[in-house]
Amino acid sequence: MQKSEAAYTKTLKQPISTGIPGLDDILCGGIPPGGVVILEGEPGTGKTTIGMQFLVEGAIKHNEPGIYITFEELPEQIYDDMERFGWNLKDLERRNLLRVICIEPEILLEQMLEPNGLFEYMIKEIGCKRVVMDSISLFRLMSSEQEARTNVYTIRNIMRKHALTSFFIREYSEVEGMHIPFENYICDGIVRLSLKPLMEKYRKRTIEVLKMRGTRILEGEHTYKFVEDGVYIIPSLSMAEDKILVQETEVLSTGIHSLDELLMGGIPKGSVFMIDTNSKANYRYLLSSIYAQRIKDDDCTVTMMSGNTTLDMFADTIDLFGVSLRQAVDEGKAHFIEHYKRAVDSGLEKALIRVDDVENDEYANTLNDKLSPIFECEELCDKRWFIYYDLNTIISERGKEFVVKYFSEEISLWRALGITVMAHCNFSEIGTETASFLERTCNGVIRTWVDGNYQYLQVTKSPSGRVSAPHIVANISETPFVRLV
Amino acid sequence: MVAESDVITLQMECTLFFENNPYALETSTGMSKRLGRNANLIERALNRLTELSILEKNGQGTRAIYRYKTPYIQTEVDMNAYD
Repeated sequence: MQKSEAAYTKTLKQPISTGIPGLDDILCGGIPPGGVVILEGEPGTGKTTIGMQFLVEGAIKHNEPGIYITFEELPEQIYDDMERFGWNLKDLERRNLLRVICIEPEILLEQMLEPNGLFEYMIKEIGCKRVVMDSISLFRLMSSEQEARTNVYTIRNIMRKHALTSFFIREYSEVEGMHIPFENYICDGIVRLSLKPLMEKYRKRTIEVLKMRGTRILEGEHTYKFVEDGVYIIPSLSMAEDKILVQETEVLSTGIHSLDELLMGGIPKGSVFMIDTNSKANYRYLLSSIYAQRIKDDDCTVTMMSGNTTLDMFADTIDLFGVSLRQAVDEGKAHFIEHYKRAVDSGLEKALIRVDDVENDEYANTLNDKLSPIFECEELCDKRWFIYYDLNTIISERGKEFVVKYFSEEISLWRALGITVMAHCNFSEIGTETASFLERTCNGVIRTWVDGNYQYLQVTKSPSGRVSAPHIVANISETPFVRLV
Repeated sequence: MVAESDVITLQMECTLFFENNPYALETSTGMSKRLGRNANLIERALNRLTELSILEKNGQGTRAIYRYKTPYIQTEVDMNAYD
């Protein structure tokens, strides 16, 4: 019996791993089970290899047998070609984990339509879960456009009926790209392989997921290479991850769901993050949300106040996020470093560490003398600590040279104590050399800037190695008042 | 008139094809294209192989599908089992 649309949609929610390194990351987990995905590309782009890797990985790692259906290529050629990746396809066939079938497309369709036909027999024989069909372009050649559409639609439905996750290989060229093929509407996903020029003399291979129902995708072109054990995809905007910090399971939410997603859950505890803003960018709600969330999560905090925000103004802003700064101060969870001689509400004064008359050479010792008893206080020493540091203030009050020396020393101390730090700076105002030094010192960097009519935000460095695409910062009426789109 | 030796040659070609492509599902016209041989002769050879239980035939006429009956034969024996 054919599954209902609702049942089909439900099964789509549990992605299955393709087993192709990098592709699951791009597909945010994998292909929705039962999904029918077009894998298209020009000759030599590796369609057969990726298709077979999907089946081999499924068979070996997930015990999901698969069938590779080839209309033109002979299986013996495929057995030979795939040996270079160490895949013994005949052995998988002996173990009933794989079948490489050659058949004419019209005969396959006949057998698919026939109750208890050879197709049904084969999928039952091995408990088939995955199918690759190479290639559906032949259905166009053997019939009219309308018939081909009907045939591909029928085959897609048969795949869904049997819950077979499938790649339909399609030959593709830029000429064909002039119009939208009917398969694009029928199938659940489209993955395109391309060869692109690289540095004039070379070519690079790129993979792009153009469509995938039922799952989020990392958009854009991603480079892939043939390595000794198959295809290896390097998702774009990704760099080497910081294993030590990534293994740290505890992450601190920023209070902004979309930003947490970019950070793979939040800011890893004990890491140092930098927010780089240009002069036009509005970072008030961004920073306030991160701070307010720390108080909500019962963390203890130290905040360096900036020159353009008084403590009373800060308290009012935090209040918008449903957090009482005065209460946090009373509970000993909020402390502030003040560089300016400014009057504050008497209820907040007790939490202030005034450093306005402290010289540079005394600054570090003075601050440590005042902060150490707070960190070591019996009631608070077991709490998580979060420090917000406004480097713009330090730079304007104490100079760039001081920051370069002092910040790296303080960072190492805070790291040793497992304190999470969020520093704020305008890289464009401090010069390239100082900016690169600070960037290097931090585990993560979040940039936000205004370009034209929009403000953007991008995670340009993170312990997970994941660098995000630029997102538009949209204002919303409810907390946290910003959303990344 | 086709010589018996020609049919036997085709039988060998077909057997070799299925040996190398053990899960092929082919009609006589499909095999004709794969091997580059006359479809009628191929059909005769395929039917002979079916009679010899080398192939299995599903259906009749030009749409009949032939497939290898014993795709893999055990080539190693665990002698310890007989100790």
